[in-house]
Amino acid sequence: MAATAQKRSAWSVIWDYLTTVDHKKIAILYLMGGGFFFLLGGLEAMLIRIQLAVPNNDFLSAGMFNQVITMHGTTMIFLAAMPLLIAFMNAVVPLQIGARDVAFPFLNALGFWVFFFGGVFLNLSWFLGGAPDAGWTSYASLAIDSPGHGVDFYALGLQITGAGTLMTGINFVTTIITMRAPGMTFMRMPLMTWTTLVAAVLIVFAFPPLTIALFLLIFDRMFGSNFFIVEAGGNTIIWEHFFWIFGHPEVYILILPAFGIFSEIFSIFARKRLFGYSSMVFATVLIGFFGFMVWAHHMFTTGLGATANAIFGVATMAIAIPTGIKIFNWILTIWGGSIKFTTPMLYALAFIPSFTMGGVTGIMLATVPADYQFHDTYFVVAHFHYVIVGGTVFAILAGLHLYWPLMFNTMLNERLGKWTFWLFFTGFHLTFLIQHWLGLWGMPRRVFTYLDGQGYNLANMVSTIGAVLMAVATLILAYNIVMTIVRNERVGKDPWGDGRTLEWSLPLPVPYYNFAQIPLIRGLDAYQIEKEENNGEMIPSEPLDDFHMPNNSFIPFVMSFGLFVTGFGALYFASGKDWAINAVSNMPVHDWALYVLIAGLAITFISMGVRSWKDDLGYYVKKEELERDLAALEEERGAN
Amino acid sequence: MAELNQKPLTDVQLKQRKLERKIEMRHHVTSFSLMIFLTFAAFAMVALELDPLIITAAVIVMALVQVILQFYYFMHMKDKGHGFIRLFMLVGMYFAIAFVLCYVLIVWIGLPIGSV
Repeated sequence: MAATAQKRSAWSVIWDYLTTVDHKKIAILYLMGGGFFFLLGGLEAMLIRIQLAVPNNDFLSAGMFNQVITMHGTTMIFLAAMPLLIAFMNAVVPLQIGARDVAFPFLNALGFWVFFFGGVFLNLSWFLGGAPDAGWTSYASLAIDSPGHGVDFYALGLQITGAGTLMTGINFVTTIITMRAPGMTFMRMPLMTWTTLVAAVLIVFAFPPLTIALFLLIFDRMFGSNFFIVEAGGNTIIWEHFFWIFGHPEVYILILPAFGIFSEIFSIFARKRLFGYSSMVFATVLIGFFGFMVWAHHMFTTGLGATANAIFGVATMAIAIPTGIKIFNWILTIWGGSIKFTTPMLYALAFIPSFTMGGVTGIMLATVPADYQFHDTYFVVAHFHYVIVGGTVFAILAGLHLYWPLMFNTMLNERLGKWTFWLFFTGFHLTFLIQHWLGLWGMPRRVFTYLDGQGYNLANMVSTIGAVLMAVATLILAYNIVMTIVRNERVGKDPWGDGRTLEWSLPLPVPYYNFAQIPLIRGLDAYQIEKEENNGEMIPSEPLDDFHMPNNSFIPFVMSFGLFVTGFGALYFASGKDWAINAVSNMPVHDWALYVLIAGLAITFISMGVRSWKDDLGYYVKKEELERDLAALEEERGAN
Repeated sequence: MAELNQKPLTDVQLKQRKLERKIEMRHHVTSFSLMIFLTFAAFAMVALELDPLIITAAVIVMALVQVILQFYYFMHMKDKGHGFIRLFMLVGMYFAIAFVLCYVLIVWIGLPIGSV
């Protein structure tokens, strides 16, 4: 396998990835795409911290600062955190539930390419007249007013990316509900699978409101409608509601898979069964459900009235209960465990206090009268960075170390990993802890500079130093990844030695069909049970026989490229038209815009047509091939 | 995508299958005629020029009944193996109704809740 892999030309590898429908390769694509945007978002964060390091700084102009904060938020949420979590979902969930692929492999590939082209489209704004500058929430009163095409890039880019995420959500709901191995009941699903299921359900329910809001914005800015244009009878508050009806579930989409990854880590490295499994499942579902009931807590100061504010405030506080259940369950999982302090475990241990601090400030923000003080200050910035970095980013870094062997068949260096962890952990607290006080002292968020002598100087400098530490940690991680790939020291099955769930029972590298025979699941922590009772051999649930797999396809790439082209057509359509909003009506006219719009849609619809009318029946993996592979594995084990 | 694995039905099974289909058909026809009747009633109320408030209320109730009939009898939500679909639709509807209510109260009517 390794010998043949080395002989392949670079082009054949690239072509393989461009056309792949294999969830393991799509996971790698997501990891690369998300990782790239993560570095980009991190770069933007560094620019922000450099600008704010000293008072009256003119490193970035006020307009540039608005663009940078908008793109930092948008990139990190939509193009980095979510795709990186989806990378782990793709890499792990089908293996964890004993499936040979996701339910809709073609849709999986399409989801990735749509996300990728949407992200590229959004970031091309830097080179095409300026990035969006209305904040990642893009409140309509700012967004309609924002001159130039920046906000158009935001609206179209997110619309395209969001479509990709929605596809992935549908895919994972279907996969987890319908494709579990025999014996894997819902209450035997590992927590990673459970949180993926709930996050996918949240995606399915939360993304349509965003899609609608973005369409309204697109229509207003590019096709002359009046949904948010107040002088024509529009209402900008509608955007805020739509955005947060999406936006609040979105933060749970980010945190729930993180909970899943940490639950796995705690039970692997404390070498204990997860404490309170059923209450963990219950809490996950409850958090998902509550997530839709609290969106207006982002809008307390909009003027909803005391009753509405009180209802949403209390509902928000209620979320602390299921989250508290989880925190205690994790602590009790570690309690009395035989703990191994590996890099993933360090992140997991650091996550508990860090995330809890973010949760506590969340309760403070949910208290309406207090929120009137905290609103739009650095206190809010500190709060959401504590939950998103202390929760999601820690989980992504932990998951990267934990699942690296599963994805790439090598191990990241533990020593460098621990350096990364300690630097990142210190830098993170240094950056954001002090921002709570900055907020309480009255420093407003989203303002490009501050005056000398207001008492903000020292705290901002501390914050910037923390950000530098996080940047250094990221560079060490990048070095670690490069060195690991260069060294290429292969590891075998169950590389951590304490894998409990099904994915660790597979040989590494995982065969492209995952399971030669779908295993029988006899309980929670399926692999651990077989380790205790059957010498670590999974019991097959079916005889060795041919099975069906899908063909690779280049169509997802073309289909997504069509949407990318469409985006440019729509973007320049309103330029210089007299019916357009003031923001773009004085820009040069682009007569080609309509034709580009039509051409882009044509590419997408023709490729959809080709996909629909040209039968692609896939192929069968033959019994003989499986027997050969199994024999080779047997031989390898004998040699060891 | 496995090979087809069909056994011929026994007489008893065939009889059972036919009976099920007959009942299914009866359900379809009944609910279809009920839906036609409800539509007719809605038009009739408008033609009779009743109080608009009564018409609005009645039409909304009848529309709700139609939606339920549509989902359960024509789109098979009542059948076995549709548990998840039912759960998703009901939860989604619950959220959607909550959102619409919220929009009507605090965006459209525009007065803060509690001040009316």
